[in-house]
Amino acid sequence: MIGWFAALQPLLVGAVLLWAGAFKLLARRAPALARRSALSTLVGKDRAAVAFRAVGSAELAVGAVLLAPPALAVEAVVATGLCIALLGYLGYARVVAPESSCGCLSAKHTPVRWRSFARTGVLAAASALAVAGAQWWLPAVDARPGPAVVVLAAEALVVLALSPDLDSYWLVPLRRLRVRLSHPLAGSAGFEIPVASSVQQLLRSPAFQAAGPWVRSDLLDFWDEAEWRVLSYTARYGGRLATAVFAVPRLRYEPDAVRAVLVDEADHSVLWEFAPAPAPVPTG
Amino acid sequence: MSELDRRRFLNRAVLGGATVVGATALGSVAPEAAFAAIQPDGEKLELDPSKPDPDFAEGRITGISGSLLLVTGSDGALHRIQLTGGTSIWKLRPTTIESAEVGDGLYARGVRMGDGTLAADAVWLNIVNLTVHISSIGKDVIHFDHHGSRLVGHVVPGTTAAVYNDTPAISDLSLLKVGVHVQVIGAWRPDTNEVDLATVYAAA
Repeated sequence: MIGWFAALQPLLVGAVLLWAGAFKLLARRAPALARRSALSTLVGKDRAAVAFRAVGSAELAVGAVLLAPPALAVEAVVATGLCIALLGYLGYARVVAPESSCGCLSAKHTPVRWRSFARTGVLAAASALAVAGAQWWLPAVDARPGPAVVVLAAEALVVLALSPDLDSYWLVPLRRLRVRLSHPLAGSAGFEIPVASSVQQLLRSPAFQAAGPWVRSDLLDFWDEAEWRVLSYTARYGGRLATAVFAVPRLRYEPDAVRAVLVDEADHSVLWEFAPAPAPVPTG
Repeated sequence: MSELDRRRFLNRAVLGGATVVGATALGSVAPEAAFAAIQPDGEKLELDPSKPDPDFAEGRITGISGSLLLVTGSDGALHRIQLTGGTSIWKLRPTTIESAEVGDGLYARGVRMGDGTLAADAVWLNIVNLTVHISSIGKDVIHFDHHGSRLVGHVVPGTTAAVYNDTPAISDLSLLKVGVHVQVIGAWRPDTNEVDLATVYAAA
């Protein structure tokens, strides 16, 4: 039983290594990816692309040997060694360049986290188990096809789940589907105008562009007054402390309609006023 | 003047067509004149690029004494920051001095007084500006990936706004999608990986 189970492992490990190697050799963005990976800190930026391809070639070679007959224990030993070396590389990347990309299975930028370690650990364990394999994987699958498919599919799912660089193929679409079905943020849709919207409109208004140099603070206070939202700021006008008060249209976007006054804090007199030019009367 | 009276008064000033008293007395209202008004005659703006901006402070609040905030900067510098009724205080939304707490992160801008105290014009508490990816969306919560680290964004009804494609902000967040890149302005919950969301900028 153990021998049969072990005989299946080269198929899993070989397939993952083939994917990893082929991606490193064939990806269009491979050189750029190599520079962003921890390899560039390990061997230098100039040699990163070459090292990336070399790693890819090694993975491809070991993967091909694992898949091709005959099944030799030494192949599994080499694969285990490769996985352990990869664990070492991940540890190095985590410590020395924690923000650099793994560059393992896809071009997606994925810093090394626990899932990458777990995946490599699973592959190392599978490779080590393969040493005890009694035969080549094809006869093993042939002997008990049903259970073989179940075992390999389960293992492949584990590897997929532990691959953050492959999330965009299954996890993101799954989460999008969940959002589409459950609408978790639908409650945020309302007719209320956020104050950020009024501030945005204010900043683009001629009134603020005229009064802006006097304004000293960020938004001090705001409230609604009929069709207006009133925003107040602390201002300095000459040597006098003042409050800049702006009235922004609340329910429409019309920066040109924004009104402003500057009120003296000491005697509450209006120091300056900005009234928008009246809209031109349509003629004819 | 109570706050309500004050608002009424300011309403009248900005909407009621109040009489302008001081404008003519103070001269031109063109922007050039406004800039001149900031800098009194003859005073030159002297900035030494090798020194920190004296009118700015950042750090975390280590003590609050009335309206005086004691702040330790990330470079170890100690700041005393004086707040007044004219100081704007932001903590997720415009708020008052009562909402400042020891441990809050702080940015302050103002005028450095002779005794080294910063008389603050504006204070922002716990404000963060992050570029992130949306990794998942739940009920009133958005999970982000911030360069490989997890970050939890809390939607605050009535405050959280979204800006899509640079159009005016709206409260509707339902156009946000899992997997997309967004920029987030929010208020950090000190010493956690959680933020309350103020504005989310996204493409839609």
